[in-house]
Amino acid sequence: MNKYLHIAKISFQEELVYKLNFLIMRLRNVLQIFLIFFLWDSVFSDPERVVFGYNRAKMLTYVLGLLLIRSLVLSAKVSEIFGEVSQGGLTNYLLKPLDYFKYWIARDFAFKGINILFAFLELTVLYLILKPTFYVQTNILTIIFFLISVIFAIAILFIFYFIAGSIPFWFPEAAWAINFLFMFVIVEFLSGSLFPLDILPITLQNVLSYTPFPYLIFFPLQIYLGNIAIVEIIKGFMVAGIWLIILKILMNNLWKKGLKVYGAYGH
Amino acid sequence: MELMDTKLKEILFYLKIWVLMSKNAFLLMLNQKKLLFLFLLGKLLRFTFFIVFLIYLVKGTNGLAGFSSNQIVFFFLTFNLVDIISQFLFREVYRFRPLLISGDFDLILIKPVNPLFRILLGGADVIDLITIPPLIIALIYLGSTFHPETGNIIFYLLLLINALLITTAFHITILGLGIITLVIDNIMWIYRDITNLGRLPVDIYRQPLKSILTFLIPIGIMFTLPVKALIGLVTFQNLILSLFLGLGLIFLSIKFWQYSLKHYTGASS
Repeated sequence: MNKYLHIAKISFQEELVYKLNFLIMRLRNVLQIFLIFFLWDSVFSDPERVVFGYNRAKMLTYVLGLLLIRSLVLSAKVSEIFGEVSQGGLTNYLLKPLDYFKYWIARDFAFKGINILFAFLELTVLYLILKPTFYVQTNILTIIFFLISVIFAIAILFIFYFIAGSIPFWFPEAAWAINFLFMFVIVEFLSGSLFPLDILPITLQNVLSYTPFPYLIFFPLQIYLGNIAIVEIIKGFMVAGIWLIILKILMNNLWKKGLKVYGAYGH
Repeated sequence: MELMDTKLKEILFYLKIWVLMSKNAFLLMLNQKKLLFLFLLGKLLRFTFFIVFLIYLVKGTNGLAGFSSNQIVFFFLTFNLVDIISQFLFREVYRFRPLLISGDFDLILIKPVNPLFRILLGGADVIDLITIPPLIIALIYLGSTFHPETGNIIFYLLLLINALLITTAFHITILGLGIITLVIDNIMWIYRDITNLGRLPVDIYRQPLKSILTFLIPIGIMFTLPVKALIGLVTFQNLILSLFLGLGLIFLSIKFWQYSLKHYTGASS
């Protein structure tokens, strides 16, 4: 256990070595939130307006909440495994006395830690500049449910990365394309990272609720905003839990088979 | 007459080189069909998801910043056309950093071809090329529903060309900054994020951001103004001012490129 703590500490320091890269990555996150913020700000120019069941405070909280949730869930150092599998860097870890899965948990933990620190800082600055109306959740039980849903989201995305990251075992040349397709397109849109999914038609929402994607961003934010009843929260936890088990089994199988065909190209 | 003849020969020479370089880039990409398919699928999905979002959003809110659902989609399509054409033409800019840090840029400098031409237009992207024709068809179809006057269509086309001039100026400036700072990739991505603010009309932004996006970083002139021209909301004076801005930015960016080139040390080689 101790060695993984050391890995987390080193990862944390490593991020701070490349300060400019990190700051630019954070700046990009803020710029991406800008479009969504001003879009909804424009829709709710009349403060009394209610659209898609949201008032101004709740919608702007959803948008600014994205900055925090994205930092916790979507910022993932584990995305580097695409390159490691396709370019043979994985070999270095297979030869060492460590668990590759735990190694990335440790690195991700450090990466998310530093990201959330900066996200709080950015949120404070944005709050002072934009002065949005903000919805503050005060119910302790709801906050606990929200934190549990975030843990589910982090776990699901982490396993997603390991599943998508195993595809380069068979198609090493497609590593970056797979990362782009799964993480930058499918996850970005279907998780609610761009817009709350309840603006979509009800049938589409129902279909999506049985996929793992809404449980990454949309579901935690809905819990925070108090938009869903306890029964729905429990149901959501069950669906997310079932997906977690299915994805873990799929990941184990893919990695077992992938390692058998792994050719350590490039090393 | 002789000067014109020489210029024409020079243009034909560069056109021939561009066709050759693009052919090579296309062949390289077509050789990796799985990759081509995945990237194309990703781009199409991203485009479709955003359109679906816009349609449901404007439907539920009865318009956005005074624009109808069709107009908002038209803003988004126009943004995409300029963005995709610039990515199709200037994809090589994304590959400039490895040339700089390895010193291989020296090999480009000693060739009898303008180095700016080579690193700006040296690797056209086939994926973006595939998506341009359907986008133009969608623009013509949707644009015709606004029943624009011929003058407005001409304004729209002129402002589209102007947007391409401005984006060219930005890419040249980024290349120049790349030589001086070596952080070209990050600057490029920030440029992309800022231009993404033009996916919707700049009218949705609050002041002073709206003015910044119109005058300082001319996102509004690049993406919002052409559509407004088609709808008939742009005066002749505004058109002329915008065209001057485009030409001015191109001039300044080339000057900056020449300045940065003098500071290239080729230290890695």
